Amino acid sequence: MTSAAVPTPEPTLAPETVLSVEGLEKSFTLHAVDGRTVEGLRGVDLLVRERSHVALAGLSGAGKSSLLKCINRTYVTGAGRILYRRAAGEVVALTELDDSAMAELRAAEIGYVSQFLRTEPRRSAHDVVARAAIRMGADPAEAHDLAAVTLRRLNIDERLWTTRPVLLSGGEKQRVNLAAGIVVAPRLLLLDEPVSALDPANRECVIEVVADLTARGASVVSVFHDLDAIRRLADEVVVLVGGKVVDQGTTDDVLDRGLDLEQELQPL
Amino acid sequence: MSSIATLVQADPRTSRVLDETSKREIRRATLTALAIPGYQVPFGSREMPVARGWGSGGLQITLAVVGPTNVVKVYDQGEDGGVNAANLRRLVRDSEGVATTTDAREADVIQTRHRVPEDALGEGQILVLQVPVPEPLRGVERDMNELRRMHAESDYARMWVSLYEDVVRNGVITRTTGYPCTVDDRYVIATTPIPRWDVPKLHQAPHIALFGAGREKRIYAIPPFTDVVPLTFDDIPFEVEEVAAPCRCGLVSPDGAADAYLVELPAQDGTSTWVCSDADWCARRRVDAGLLEAESLQEVEL
Amino acid sequence: MNDWALRVQELGRIYGPGGAECVAGTGPEFGRSVSPTTGAVVGCWDIGFHVSPGEALGVIGESGSGKSTVMRCIAGDQQTSTGRITLRSVDDGATDLGSLTDSERRALRIDQLAVVYQDPSEGLDLHVSAGGNIADRLTAAGWRHFGNIRERAAELLARTEVPLDRMDDPVATFSGGMRQRVQLAKALANRPPVLLLDEPTTGLDASVAAGVLDLIRDLLEETGVAAVVVSHDFNVIETLTRRCLVMHHGRVVEEGLTDQLLEDPQDAYSQRLVGAARG
Repeated sequence: MTSAAVPTPEPTLAPETVLSVEGLEKSFTLHAVDGRTVEGLRGVDLLVRERSHVALAGLSGAGKSSLLKCINRTYVTGAGRILYRRAAGEVVALTELDDSAMAELRAAEIGYVSQFLRTEPRRSAHDVVARAAIRMGADPAEAHDLAAVTLRRLNIDERLWTTRPVLLSGGEKQRVNLAAGIVVAPRLLLLDEPVSALDPANRECVIEVVADLTARGASVVSVFHDLDAIRRLADEVVVLVGGKVVDQGTTDDVLDRGLDLEQELQPL
Repeated sequence: MSSIATLVQADPRTSRVLDETSKREIRRATLTALAIPGYQVPFGSREMPVARGWGSGGLQITLAVVGPTNVVKVYDQGEDGGVNAANLRRLVRDSEGVATTTDAREADVIQTRHRVPEDALGEGQILVLQVPVPEPLRGVERDMNELRRMHAESDYARMWVSLYEDVVRNGVITRTTGYPCTVDDRYVIATTPIPRWDVPKLHQAPHIALFGAGREKRIYAIPPFTDVVPLTFDDIPFEVEEVAAPCRCGLVSPDGAADAYLVELPAQDGTSTWVCSDADWCARRRVDAGLLEAESLQEVEL
Repeated sequence: MNDWALRVQELGRIYGPGGAECVAGTGPEFGRSVSPTTGAVVGCWDIGFHVSPGEALGVIGESGSGKSTVMRCIAGDQQTSTGRITLRSVDDGATDLGSLTDSERRALRIDQLAVVYQDPSEGLDLHVSAGGNIADRLTAAGWRHFGNIRERAAELLARTEVPLDRMDDPVATFSGGMRQRVQLAKALANRPPVLLLDEPTTGLDASVAAGVLDLIRDLLEETGVAAVVVSHDFNVIETLTRRCLVMHHGRVVEEGLTDQLLEDPQDAYSQRLVGAARG
């Protein structure tokens, strides 16, 4: 705890860095079970540069999705902090923002696409994506057109646009969720397993779209179990084991070093 | 031993219907009512020799405001000669010793049920109306406290809703008598018991209008030169009754400037004739037009 | 927090004697709302939050949690015992609504603050037509042109998906779901900046509730109103809100982003509640 005489320094980030995770810890206290604590993240450090794509790799349960959720504030964190540089330039600590501010930031700049294939009930795909566009600041008059463009880019058959989402296949839902996340390109996109349910052709399509996002200025932190996708998309790879970072660096370096990892990361 | 004749003779002690204290209270209530145009002032309504619902409220006001030199006209639905009007007129005359008339132009105080005289009344004249139901919101709310609150806060939304529903259901606002009006841009009153025809006469009138409800124990008033605006929607103008057919003597017709309120007299054979409601006014008009002998004017026992 | 429409600070409501002194010994850590010293019931205590335009805040709790008490205090249906409630639209937030007279409070309900009740008969006059219920709000706000009133009422009913050919039917003839739609239309008639919804779909059949929920979701997004949604139903909270509070024994035990509360509740009671709802 800092004493009253010493003011907490304004958070800063190195230039060209958009996100910095510092010593992040996350544990779950299961009051409803027996009060035990389960550790999720045990001191994670991570840097994301502007316009770069960082892929999180590791076994299931290593903490990859948890890390994304911590950044998005879906999870409440313990020790450590997460710094983020806003589009306007100021640096904020996501871990310290109040709920309203975080909600606004999500709507304005941070996108999150969940691994779960669940879309908003009783709303057509087109509507879901259009509303997401409006929430992220698009002009309501243009939102439907914007949504159409994005749905098309992700190869979603126009006949499915007005279908109720419960009738869509897993892969279709996954692409609709992705469409909602990128219809208005966020500054920071958190992607959790965006191709897991896709056939090769659609997978290819999504990979191109995600690559294009970074090319146009978005920063991405992703979770992939797909080595090929990682090689093609990620500038850097961070390997998590048991809630800790065990390796990080450029994609080629990390993947060359972690040949054992390759065995475990083969597509299921 | 008394004879029936002596018993029947008017006894000055017992023919006084209202004592001075009562009159004073009613006058105070009336002054309060005039000070707050349109506000229903509660008052201690006395037992009158007429039954409740037969003009006891109007009667009390007339008795309270009238002085020995005043001239009083009492009429009912335009007729001075009707039983009720005659009864009330006799009561006032015997109790207060005032002179009476059928000519609205000569009267200081005109007590009426259901009509405002066709003659335009002037400053110094007082119109006393007999009111059965003083509460304009009566059909819309039952709770007394809520009614008081609505008037106090000028919260007449429920009234507007009932007018809206009326138009929706019937295409027009169907109220015939007792049309709700806003007085002095503040309180809403029931103009009961006068027909729509008479409502515009109240607006900026030079005379005083006093409304007495004996059974409900309320007095409300419109002082001279006060705004009285019927409640209606901007796009639905307030309309008065149409003149359906020319009157019996032909002086009032739909083609000419309709200047009097007509009532229908059904005949045995199913046909009907229309006559002026205000009998005295009509008679004088007919005399002027040469349709009637002047002597026939004084038919009514005063 | 520059942009807020409704702010509640240290709101408390006690039924019975004792004032602030009787609060000790009550609350989630003691497992009761009844004061051990005076027997007074602490309906709610130390409640604070704000809502911005275009935002919906959820208040979750089981029965007896105090969530409805909070809502009724804000609505003005109940007096507060302590605390401040302010609206941006009233004196720029300088005036505590609790200091206003009943009639001033009522005036706010015309176009500053609207409420949708769980029981539609609380917010509607059942004897009056659907259009007439809306005309009630419009005329209270000064509308006097019949044609305009009717047009606006029709527009609102169309938006809340009430069949237009039923516009002139008394609301008493409507089903529960339809009544809620009329209540919504009426609440939004004068475009209030703040809307309170108390268990808006509870008591409706599942399919009907889903339709009403979707409608509310769309309306909240379209109108940009600042909303407080009180519910025990997580589905409702998740669909409509992005931040929420969990109440238990009259206190807020946890608050956070809605998705965080549903996926990572911190408080023991919150975890039980979410666990029971979500499995």
